[in-house]
Amino acid sequence: MRSGSPCALAFWLGTAELGDKPVREPPPRPDLWPPASAATFMDPKYIRNFSIIAHIDHGKSTLADRLLEVTGTVSLREMKEQLLDDMDLERQRGITIKANSVSMRVKHEGQEYELNLIDTPGHVDFQYEVSRSLTCCEGALLLVDAFQGVEAQTVANAYNAIEHDLEIVPVLNKIDLTHARPDEVKEEIEHTLGLDATEAIGCSAKTGLNCDQVIKAVIDRIPPPTGDPKAPLQAMVFDSVYDEFRGAIIFVRVMNGTVKKGARIKFLQAGTEHDVVELGQKTPKRTAKPSLSAGQVGYMVCNIKSLGQVHIGDTVTVARGEQAKALPGYEEPKRMVFCGLYPSDGQDFETLREALGKLQVNDPSFVFEPETSDALGFGFRCGFLGLLHMEIVQQRLEQEADIDLVQTAPNVTYKIQKKDGEWLEVHTPTRVPEMGEIEEFQQPIVRVSFVMPAEYVGGIMKLCADRRGIFVRQEYLSPTRVMLVYDIALAEVVYDLHDKLKSTTKGYGTMDYELRGYEPGDLVRMDILVKNERVDALSIVCDRRDADTRGRAVIKKLKQEIPRHMFEVALQAAIGTRIIARETISAMRKNVTAKCYGGDISRKRKLWEKQKEGKKRMKSIGQVDIPQKAFLAVLETGEEEGGVKSR
Amino acid sequence: MLPIHLQARKNLMPRAAYIHVPFCSHRCGYCNFALVAGRLDLVPSYFEALQREFHSQLVEPREVDTLYFGGGTPSQLGAEGLARLAELATHWHPLAEGFEWTVETNPADMDAAVAQALGAAGVNRLSLGSQSFRPAKLELLERDHRAEDIQRSVELARQQGMAVSLDLIFATPGETLQQWLDDLRLAIGLEPEHISVYGLTFEKGTTYWGRRERGELESAEDELERDMYLAAIEELAAAGFEHYEVSNFARPGHRSRHNEAYWRGDEYYAAGPGAARYVAGVRETNHRSTTTYLKRVLAGESPVDEREQLTDESRARERLVFALRRLEGLRREDFAAATGFTIDELAAEAIQRFVEWKLLDDDGQRIRLSREGLLVSDAMWPEML
Repeated sequence: MRSGSPCALAFWLGTAELGDKPVREPPPRPDLWPPASAATFMDPKYIRNFSIIAHIDHGKSTLADRLLEVTGTVSLREMKEQLLDDMDLERQRGITIKANSVSMRVKHEGQEYELNLIDTPGHVDFQYEVSRSLTCCEGALLLVDAFQGVEAQTVANAYNAIEHDLEIVPVLNKIDLTHARPDEVKEEIEHTLGLDATEAIGCSAKTGLNCDQVIKAVIDRIPPPTGDPKAPLQAMVFDSVYDEFRGAIIFVRVMNGTVKKGARIKFLQAGTEHDVVELGQKTPKRTAKPSLSAGQVGYMVCNIKSLGQVHIGDTVTVARGEQAKALPGYEEPKRMVFCGLYPSDGQDFETLREALGKLQVNDPSFVFEPETSDALGFGFRCGFLGLLHMEIVQQRLEQEADIDLVQTAPNVTYKIQKKDGEWLEVHTPTRVPEMGEIEEFQQPIVRVSFVMPAEYVGGIMKLCADRRGIFVRQEYLSPTRVMLVYDIALAEVVYDLHDKLKSTTKGYGTMDYELRGYEPGDLVRMDILVKNERVDALSIVCDRRDADTRGRAVIKKLKQEIPRHMFEVALQAAIGTRIIARETISAMRKNVTAKCYGGDISRKRKLWEKQKEGKKRMKSIGQVDIPQKAFLAVLETGEEEGGVKSR
Repeated sequence: MLPIHLQARKNLMPRAAYIHVPFCSHRCGYCNFALVAGRLDLVPSYFEALQREFHSQLVEPREVDTLYFGGGTPSQLGAEGLARLAELATHWHPLAEGFEWTVETNPADMDAAVAQALGAAGVNRLSLGSQSFRPAKLELLERDHRAEDIQRSVELARQQGMAVSLDLIFATPGETLQQWLDDLRLAIGLEPEHISVYGLTFEKGTTYWGRRERGELESAEDELERDMYLAAIEELAAAGFEHYEVSNFARPGHRSRHNEAYWRGDEYYAAGPGAARYVAGVRETNHRSTTTYLKRVLAGESPVDEREQLTDESRARERLVFALRRLEGLRREDFAAATGFTIDELAAEAIQRFVEWKLLDDDGQRIRLSREGLLVSDAMWPEML
């Protein structure tokens, strides 16, 4: 099959040619590794595939760095902090966004072992990617900060690993800190996760203390992969990254069989065939090898020009001869959160389209389609895996394309059944039909786990009750730390739950969530009218019982954000034709410069010219100028927290 | 830009000149003008610098119709200093027949000798920084004069045959409408030819700004300030003053011709620290620091700090806006003749909208601010620039 959408390809090659034309070759690589003496396949007995699961900031990347150093994979000289986090953004934020892998060779009791560390994203937005990565491992290091203890993400990720039948090796990091409390943390691990923590390894990823013990435990405690190197090729795609010169770099774990350079392979889900032009392992630089065999983890380069053609969770097999079966668990990426992105200046629409297209080449899990707003003009409705994903994409857009953007408040996908029986999936509040046409209005529900010091339990319970959460369970991780589990509408999570959690627990609480499914809700579409005109970009969907409070809060916020005009501006919140909140911005009463003589003329002219520029950046609805910030007014909760908003 | 002598031949030379006198006895809390307080020791260098600036800017004497000494406080120079400045200025700017020559003075400085010096030099218009007649308000404004000083200054000016203009400030912290009306009536009672009224503004960099930030001072409510302004318009109109610019009121035939040149978009010369000139389509402002100004000029360098050459269109737009601040508004015909642009090609859409909102009156020939438009006019200008 001919691959590549003309659009993406044209961007990538700068031409409009189609097909598997070889792409620009990078400089030759003399450093083939391992040496030519390597056998055609590696005995799975001597392979260990593992990942590190941890809460953010518990030291995952630092431990990974240290392991590379201890095994001599990277010399001290080459050491750069957090080698595995390739992307600048990951370094900046100290989080892992993409999965990654690195292969280490280590001698243990006279035998050489291949240890493949698969670094997984830690955030719930990338749950599916995480599950695919975990499928490629036989074990996991459960890394817990010896002071902070078990957190929500630790639990979520550990459960995930347990579900994947991984052997879990608890590791306590930062054991050298004075405030470390290893015994209590071990207790928390046993309580929460039902794991035996007696043999937990105490280490310091920062100083390297006991990191050799971690390596030893990987070899001794994590089982080797099973799989037959001689069986038909069956490999799992667990991630891909985009390289400007080589196109898609596909990360795979070979389950069965062997794949060699030059082989013709087939992606079973995508149904596409490609030639393997290069394969190898990351050490941590990409290092070409002649083949990868059962149990091994590595990368493949197949002249694929867009990541959109590489599906995480897909199965690789041979294009000719006996083919393997597809591995189970494949899913399409689920976009959970949507928002509108509009160029401030309508002229930038095409530039924005190009920039979004370029980003999508690197990140096919994000989608966009053109939409038109009366208020904001031409823009795009964009779908993301979650809130963090949305933030990442926006940040990249800002960094990589110099476009001033207006973002609408994020919303989730609703499922609506109309009276005529038709089901709709709605990503934009304005597309919600009139209430009279709706038979059933469903929204996504997530199961949220909160972990916090016991003293904040009451506050979080109240928060969840206010958000109409359904209590699932409460567990004491230790006498002072509690896990609370609630089922809550995803819309509430998107709205402000994380901010609220942080403010309620003074920053000590953590949370994680997973999608449970769709449930009917008592939902309504609330519209905002400015000077009697509906501002489509300000419409939201909310629970009927919250509508009055939300409506008042939004209107109040808008009143602050919209400057006085030379005429009166009425602000209203409405459900259908019923007005639920109203405010008026009274007309400007006095705005005139008294002194205006020789020296004032230039200064005043410049000031007024600047104001004119400022006006241009506002969006005009009717004759009302609305500043961009006002489009996020719908995030207002109407609750005061000591006067300071945590957002 | 044409050399000055060539422009002279084309009769495009400015007909107005402004001289900035930066000296003050102290800085008042609300003032952010270019000045130095308590540095009369700099006066000799100032004269030297002015002489040099005139020489390098003008090359040869340039006749003007209006001459204006502003500050700072020109009267800080005293009788002798004023006489010297007058001589220097009129050497470089000889006055044409029918000239207007204004000097700003602080009522506290005004004595018989100062009045005599000004009268003898030919000054025919005195602009008095009176601000208020109420002691508490004068104190709050950190002014060093009293109500009696204002009255004496007016009498002295009269003796020298000078027309008088009074400056008044309103909407000061805590001021009531009645207190403002009292100030207005006292001013009217002195029968000046001209009155300027200014709502107090808090400018960044003044002690007032900081005091307001700290909550020690409160600006007047918009609604009160509006009422005070409207009251001034009404009172002054009733007393026979014509409201001819946002802040300026004159008895018939006594408008400030010098200031009208600014608003009409005419060009003007200027000298002194922080002074702004508009010559041959170029707007320039001298450095605001008196010491920097002196250092630069005395070292033979240009004192210009900012310089801006306007395009024909921005010149026209600027003229449109500043001329509309005059109550008589702007005649389409005059504007087109002066700028080469028609008002409607520059701002038809905005004008139509403002007429609809009753902020502008348009009789087809002339557009002018309505009363309501006058009050919110700053919000209109961005749409016309």
